[in-house]
Amino acid sequence: MKRLSLAVLLSVSLMTPLAAYGHSHKTMSIKIANVLLPNRSPLITFRIVFMTGAAADPKGKEGVAALTAAMLSQGGTRTMSYEQIVEAMYPMATSFGSQIDKEMTVFSGTTHLDNLDKYYGLISQMLLDPGFRADDFARLRTDAINFLKVTLRETNDEELGKEYLYNIIYDGHPYEHHNTGTVSSLEKLTLDDVRAFYKANYTQPNMVLGLAGGYPKELPGKVEADFSKLPTGQTVRAKFETPKLAPGTRIALVKRETQATGISLGFPINVTRADKDWPALAVVASYFGQHRNSGSYLFQKLRGARGLNYGDYAYIEYFPRGMFLFTPDPNLARASQIFQIWIRPVAPENGHFAIRAALYEYDKLVQEGMSKETFEATRDFLTKYNNILTQTQDAQLGYALDSSYYHIPDYVTYMREQLAKLTLEDVNNAIRKHLKSDAMRVVIVTKDAEGLREAIINNRPSPITYNSPKPKEITDEDKLIEAYKINVKPEDVVIVPVEKVFE
Amino acid sequence: MRLIIILSLLICLPVMALAQQKSRKLFPYNYTIDDLPNGLRLITVPTDYPNLVALYIVVQTGSRNEVEPGKSGFAHFFEHMMFRGSDNYTADQREAIFKRAGAETNAYTSDDRTVYHATFSKEDLDEIMKMEADRFLRLKYALPEFQTESLAVKGEYDKNSANPFSKLYEVLRETAFKTHTYSHTTMGYLKDIQDMPNQFEYSQEFFRRFYRPEYSTVVLVGDVTRARALDLTKRYFGDWKRGDYVAKIPVEPKQTEPRKAHIDWPSPTLPIVAVAFRGPAYSDVDKDKIALDLLAQVAFGENSDLYQKLVLTEQKVDFLGPDFSNQMDPELFVVLARVKDVKDVDYVRDQIQATFKRYSTELIPQDKLNATRSRQRYSFAMAMDSSTAIASTLAPFVSLRRSPETIDKLAELMETISPQDVRDLAAKYFRDENRTIVTLAAKGKEAAQNDGKEVSN
Repeated sequence: MKRLSLAVLLSVSLMTPLAAYGHSHKTMSIKIANVLLPNRSPLITFRIVFMTGAAADPKGKEGVAALTAAMLSQGGTRTMSYEQIVEAMYPMATSFGSQIDKEMTVFSGTTHLDNLDKYYGLISQMLLDPGFRADDFARLRTDAINFLKVTLRETNDEELGKEYLYNIIYDGHPYEHHNTGTVSSLEKLTLDDVRAFYKANYTQPNMVLGLAGGYPKELPGKVEADFSKLPTGQTVRAKFETPKLAPGTRIALVKRETQATGISLGFPINVTRADKDWPALAVVASYFGQHRNSGSYLFQKLRGARGLNYGDYAYIEYFPRGMFLFTPDPNLARASQIFQIWIRPVAPENGHFAIRAALYEYDKLVQEGMSKETFEATRDFLTKYNNILTQTQDAQLGYALDSSYYHIPDYVTYMREQLAKLTLEDVNNAIRKHLKSDAMRVVIVTKDAEGLREAIINNRPSPITYNSPKPKEITDEDKLIEAYKINVKPEDVVIVPVEKVFE
Repeated sequence: MRLIIILSLLICLPVMALAQQKSRKLFPYNYTIDDLPNGLRLITVPTDYPNLVALYIVVQTGSRNEVEPGKSGFAHFFEHMMFRGSDNYTADQREAIFKRAGAETNAYTSDDRTVYHATFSKEDLDEIMKMEADRFLRLKYALPEFQTESLAVKGEYDKNSANPFSKLYEVLRETAFKTHTYSHTTMGYLKDIQDMPNQFEYSQEFFRRFYRPEYSTVVLVGDVTRARALDLTKRYFGDWKRGDYVAKIPVEPKQTEPRKAHIDWPSPTLPIVAVAFRGPAYSDVDKDKIALDLLAQVAFGENSDLYQKLVLTEQKVDFLGPDFSNQMDPELFVVLARVKDVKDVDYVRDQIQATFKRYSTELIPQDKLNATRSRQRYSFAMAMDSSTAIASTLAPFVSLRRSPETIDKLAELMETISPQDVRDLAAKYFRDENRTIVTLAAKGKEAAQNDGKEVSN
């Protein structure tokens, strides 16, 4: 129902039922899709996905999808309080967590085979028979508000900048607001909103059961039978378009009391794992800025050679909580992604230089592309690295679920095959086709927003000094960077007080 | 988010495997230990996970070893320098080899240890062992790289600085410890970080002192045999010369009265309360540490009475949890709470203190103790779900006792703990004169998460 009200920016279309991509079982009426990875491990991993998320929040009720997921995973059932659930899981050392994104909500947990019946009894009850209790609601809504107001705005400049960049790029799009919602909408949400969201979205056609480990072979059938209690719901799924941004660079300076200056920049791309150019772009992103990897180009130029900051990375997929993780969490699959550069906090006096350096390196990438040598090295890296990404059965299951979303085969096999076929020309064509943007969006979190704005709009030189001698190639390049022109109109460089972000 | 990391550390902390197992072996994998004549130890753990190998090199050096004034944060800074090249490999060549291998590689430093780790395909083991050995035996960097890297460390401090928990830990440690090196965090003081570019000679001295075989253990987990691991270790690390330096870690004198400190935070935040007591060091022989670990969960964990009261029922707190690491020397038993309203700070502090008092006189129920032991065993078993995870679980124990055996000894010790032990040890440690309380609130009045304990490259 709510998806239709979002129709301005999204077209509604029928999607192929996911069941076609899992090994599905028959139930009375509707198939619940599944992805099963049986093995001999004594650990059983559940990933129960509902194909709904923050993009399904009705207008004015931003945050209801996240709050509903929290009520299910951190709230009581009709017959058990949350305290009793925690008590029951305690000796098993298990939990049941939720993660929300635009189009996917996943509930996940792992149990030892010894405790499987008990654990499954608890989690099935949590999803199928929620208590929607007023005390849980009050607690979780306050947690959500404090997460935005305090944790994100005031304690983590890096995630603040990255998430605000998404807000700006998806302005007016169902992806616009933070997955947790907005402060003002959360303050108005009621328990009835949560009940309504649950009823409309926690349906059989929206569910995909992910199971891995040495579970008894009857388990998938049992889960399917139990979850056929869920409503049959609608089978129409929204399709989200990639936004077309107004041309030109736009810069938002988020002003807050902070010691350092953090920078994120990017623009939407028309490529997801479902597209043929994805492996090529994956190579580019890895070469340019593999997450937390000191061998990537940006890292070596900005941190390695200049000591500008702690790290510099590039992405073609949403990667929240990157400051705490070495590898991305799965089940954040989306129809629309952005290309993003993340410059970790720099000393404020180097803020202007760092923005220029990021744009300079980005322009250079687009103009020059990759060389044969860097292409081959990065292709070899990814071919092997993907095995490391999927080391645990939880990760294998997560990737398999994402592959079912994108309608691609097993991720590691698919990438190995695609990378083997890839040529330098494919990669450089993909750069020209997808990474050439005239609509760059930049978010800078800093204290002296006025001073930085003034320097940016007047294109003032931003020389950098070091505590040690630098090779000539670096000092020559610095001369180009410190005067690198940022083509931006004064009205497109705005100062945003931090209190307004996520409000 | 980092709080979640604190919590997960606690949940898997002193760790063990399954009750149902016939033997008490809680580290369920077969392993071998080989000692080289130079003092280097090799621990090999073959697993059924195919193709991959996790290589963890554990050096028993951390911010605990920073005994000279003005050198806080140096162990961590030095970890960064280990990536700047050696006699036979420039930094770029290192990166190229790791890249071709598709390796996941990094390092971290904590109070007691520095850990260099990489996971990669088994066919790359020889080349990577050779290259890793080169930096431990023949590290080489020039002054300009040293000075540039000091800026990256400053960048790391800067990125952490937005988080009030970083500052809270800095102040908590310097208030609770006056002599011992645990008085500073692993990251170090800003003034010392700013002085790092001037410490080039000291960095070479640091390498000579601590990057020695007798302080180091090579841990290899995965698709590897003992014979191959030993052959490569002997071949590439065999010429490493034993050192003779022993850091004199100052002993912290007895605390004689309660201490407190308050931090005025310059931007809006929810207030944070930390109530800490001086606790014991890690031991697999004495009951003190493991008994208080069990109590940490019972008294302050997610299903404790206090958590249910403050977080779920009264909803005055949005985070509550204990933090009590296994350390070489006596460590703080910390309880942290983030309070939703500044007017409740005193109340929350008093509730936490009352809980410490309560368990100093009251016996915990036997069934709760049993459930907590079960939890510890399952968390341990469930944490080890890949070769990397096994190696990463082993690393802290290797830094403490240089053998996985300590895990099994600890598990056996845990079985002997009675409710009386827990009460008596609570009474021994949770005395007013052992206490330090630190609060943090926005200047004038009113937060989230990083304990600043493990600092990675």
